[in-house]
Amino acid sequence: MSAISLLSLGSRAMTANYAALQVTGNNIANANTAGYSRQHVELATAFSQQTGSGFFGKGVDVATVTRAHSAFLTREAALTQSLAAADGTRSDQLRQLEGVFRTGEAGLGYAAQQMFNAFVDVANRPQDASARQVVLARVGDLAARFRTASDQIDSLQAGIAQGVRTAVASINSLTTRIADLNTRIANVQGTGHAPNELLDQRDTAINELSQIVQVTTVPAADGSVGVFLGGAQKLVLGGTATALSAVTDPFDPARVQLGIAEAGTTRAFPDGFIAGGSVAGLLRVQNHDLPDARGLIGRLASAIAGALNKQQALGLDLGQPAAAGAPLLAIGAAAVAPSSNNAMVGGVPVASYLSGGVRVSSVSIAVVDSKELQPSDYELVADPALPAGSYRLTRLADGASQTVTDGAVVDGFRIDIAPPVPAARDRFLLQPSSQATRSIALALADPKGIAAASPVGASLAAANTGTATVASLTAVNTTLNPNLVATITFTDDLGNYSYSLVDSTAALPTVNGTGTFMAGQPISLNGFELRLAGVPKTADSLAVARTMLPAGNNGNANALLGLRDAALVGQRTVGAVVVPGVNVTDAYASALATVGVRVQSAELDADQSASLAADAKTQASSTSGVNLDEEAARLIQFQQSYQAAAKMLQVAQSVFDTLLQIGR
Amino acid sequence: MRISTANSFDTGIDTLTRRQSDLAQIQEQISSGKRVDRASDDPAAAARAERALAAIGRSETSQRAVDASRVAMTQTESSLGDATGLLQRARELVVSAGNASYGDSERRHIADEIQSLREQLLAVANQGDGAGTWLFGGQSPTQKPFVDAAGGVQYAGAPGQSLTEAPTGLPLTSDGRTAWLSARTGNGVFVTGAAPTVASATIDVGSVANPSALTGSAYALQFSVAAGVTTYAVLKDGLPTAVTAAPYATGQAIVIDGMRVAVSGTPANGDAFQITPSTPTLGVFAALDQAAAGLRATGRTGAQIAQANAFALRDVDAVLGGVQSARSSTGAVLNRIDSETDRLDGQKLASRTERSNAEDVDLVHAISDFQSRQSSYDAALKSYAMVQRLSLFQYLNGG
Repeated sequence: MSAISLLSLGSRAMTANYAALQVTGNNIANANTAGYSRQHVELATAFSQQTGSGFFGKGVDVATVTRAHSAFLTREAALTQSLAAADGTRSDQLRQLEGVFRTGEAGLGYAAQQMFNAFVDVANRPQDASARQVVLARVGDLAARFRTASDQIDSLQAGIAQGVRTAVASINSLTTRIADLNTRIANVQGTGHAPNELLDQRDTAINELSQIVQVTTVPAADGSVGVFLGGAQKLVLGGTATALSAVTDPFDPARVQLGIAEAGTTRAFPDGFIAGGSVAGLLRVQNHDLPDARGLIGRLASAIAGALNKQQALGLDLGQPAAAGAPLLAIGAAAVAPSSNNAMVGGVPVASYLSGGVRVSSVSIAVVDSKELQPSDYELVADPALPAGSYRLTRLADGASQTVTDGAVVDGFRIDIAPPVPAARDRFLLQPSSQATRSIALALADPKGIAAASPVGASLAAANTGTATVASLTAVNTTLNPNLVATITFTDDLGNYSYSLVDSTAALPTVNGTGTFMAGQPISLNGFELRLAGVPKTADSLAVARTMLPAGNNGNANALLGLRDAALVGQRTVGAVVVPGVNVTDAYASALATVGVRVQSAELDADQSASLAADAKTQASSTSGVNLDEEAARLIQFQQSYQAAAKMLQVAQSVFDTLLQIGR
Repeated sequence: MRISTANSFDTGIDTLTRRQSDLAQIQEQISSGKRVDRASDDPAAAARAERALAAIGRSETSQRAVDASRVAMTQTESSLGDATGLLQRARELVVSAGNASYGDSERRHIADEIQSLREQLLAVANQGDGAGTWLFGGQSPTQKPFVDAAGGVQYAGAPGQSLTEAPTGLPLTSDGRTAWLSARTGNGVFVTGAAPTVASATIDVGSVANPSALTGSAYALQFSVAAGVTTYAVLKDGLPTAVTAAPYATGQAIVIDGMRVAVSGTPANGDAFQITPSTPTLGVFAALDQAAAGLRATGRTGAQIAQANAFALRDVDAVLGGVQSARSSTGAVLNRIDSETDRLDGQKLASRTERSNAEDVDLVHAISDFQSRQSSYDAALKSYAMVQRLSLFQYLNGG
């Protein structure tokens, strides 16, 4: 044993404590660095020296620097953050979507009501041009609100497409970085020391990636980590990354799906493939919430325009001579979008033909009853499992599926399939009403064009003895022939009547018949509905004949006003039973509530998953985060040890001095 | 558990932000007065408020229709009041024309005055509301309803009424044909008339003796004078009846199939009187024209003058009744308008209350909420400040 050993002991202790101080300093420096894991020095006793009098310690060694890290907690934090990002993104998007469905006076429902209500002034004074002008302004206002709503949805869609494209770029840059880090980590794997900073960086990159798309990680023996999407699709394997791409939707070029380019072809992931991350939130809004919203407002617009234009066509305008009313509202037509993946021959789709020099799809649809429309798009598939000429039709909003053939009428629209018929597995997106709001506009410029007059008028015979008066007379069918004079004569006091329809031009034979009038029920003849108030008596009669002076007649204006209470929206025919729809106010209120509930639950989901993510992050950081108080204590601890080691050197020096003095 | 310093700062800031936004949210509710601003605030309440808003708009719109009807009906009522006054004046004139001391010239003056009343009445019947609508325009409110044509005043519009929206169906115009041109002729059940050649006898307007015996046929009384004895025969629809040579006494009631008429004077041989069923075709203007024409006729016997005056009075009374009945039904409509207005007011108030209940903020509740959130934010701020001041470094500095 020599005094030298004490010197070396002291200097080793100083080195070790200095290293510990350095690591503590590093911890303090990185206290606020995101993704940094707290490090500490592993100290070990140096091999002891065997002497005759036992083993003497030779001091301390710095074994390595390790990071405080829990793989489980880190993964948990990444996963919860991934879900929180999905929910948070969807909630943000839905809050914007909610702006389309405004409440109160700013809403679509109010504008529709105002539009119907404006007809009251026309009914009060059919010849008043200003009242008619107000109606046109209201119709224009309603159309503008529908268009604004549609534009808002379009701009949300554009934002989502942009968001997905940006996300794809970020994903690809992150996977490249992870692959690069994998390589570097594998390279230093042999040194026996963990490359703490590289590991931290890789964890951070995976964490960032998780916030965009939910991934699973599988560690490999060489220290690298495999990153997979949806449990199966590899993103990073060792040092190689697979690039994702943004794939345009086969039906709608405005929509973008996440996909992958492999072996020369681009393949989109199926809907719902990605469970978490902001992209999952964006795609869910794009694939479900936006189509639903578009369906709701499109259906409302189609129903309003359908009913308004139909009633308008039944009346007479103020023109010279008076003519049937022209449409008030123009809407986007029912559309068919063939999939871009459909079978092609010679560069053109199989299921298409030339019509007037324009190539059109063999599949077309037309709305036949706007009342029956449902707020959904439909997918028509030429399923090879079905017999030729049969197709599978799926309502996308609820997934209800049925088999249809050419000419089938489903939910208020007719499907026409002209030759050449679609090839097997061809797909078509049918949009009966969702495109209606894209180009909705006021179609009538001249206030005189409003068909306020009824084509027929009723007059009671002056000799009537009963109390019956005409409550309303409404044209309900375009088959109404105004040349027919309907004379209704009551044959008893119970409401039984006989009628005759005499053609005033004598072109058609006279039709006679009988019927029974019941209070509250209309008398329907020749395409009109006549309602009486009071009680008719025997031999009372009334005649319904062409309106000779349509200028001041308000019959059709009242009928147009009456549309505000009519069940225009969402009628369903189940078997032969007609389930009536609801009026425009109820339809909008329920659309509002549907969207409101969706936003509310999305917000709750977002709150919940955000707090779960925060908890998981706190958990993870309680293991790997830096606590400054702790570092302060360590600083003092190692400072004192360093001072003690220095004292050892001092003692060793004085021991030397003592020895030297002996030798003098 | 270890606390990561950076994380504890982060969560501290998160909590404070959340508390602050809670506070801002309730503050916003209090200042706007609305609890539901977006549908997601309370979807069910938002839908309720939406329906209530539509109901308010609906009531207001229906009220506009009711108001339009009220304006029209008030004007109609006052027009018919004017018409009643004018017709009463005409009646007085017709009555005064019966003065036995009047000669042809006096009667012509009365006829002139009746003529002028008729012109005034035509102006009343053709009254507009000043905005292109004729009050009595029926189903063609923009068409001038009464035109003076050869053969008398005719109704040029479409009969009936313009109505507001069903089911209330209040009138926006009145049926001019009913009010002005559809009084029942004669006494309301049958019409008595004398052949133009009758010069010395008159027939009264008659009355109903037995309503159940009425047949609706046309009758004629034919008088014969043979050997100073006056008898009469009754013809039904031109055919002889059982009554062939009934003895005649002046002023005595003759009852035929439930109708009672009396002939006065001394009918000449061959004099005939007709009794025809009443029809709802008597017009105000026709009655006055007839009365004036009668008064202008010259060279008549006393019986002819008396007969003409009696018929004129009968007709003026009938048309006066027609106008008054139109006026009273207009009054009934005005009553209905009042009750409809009350109903709509009630409905509107109920809808307003419903909307307010659905979406307005309950201030007591909101303020108490605000205070509790305020104190929790305050506490969060204080504890954050205290906890973050604690650091070991602070104590080390001192040492």
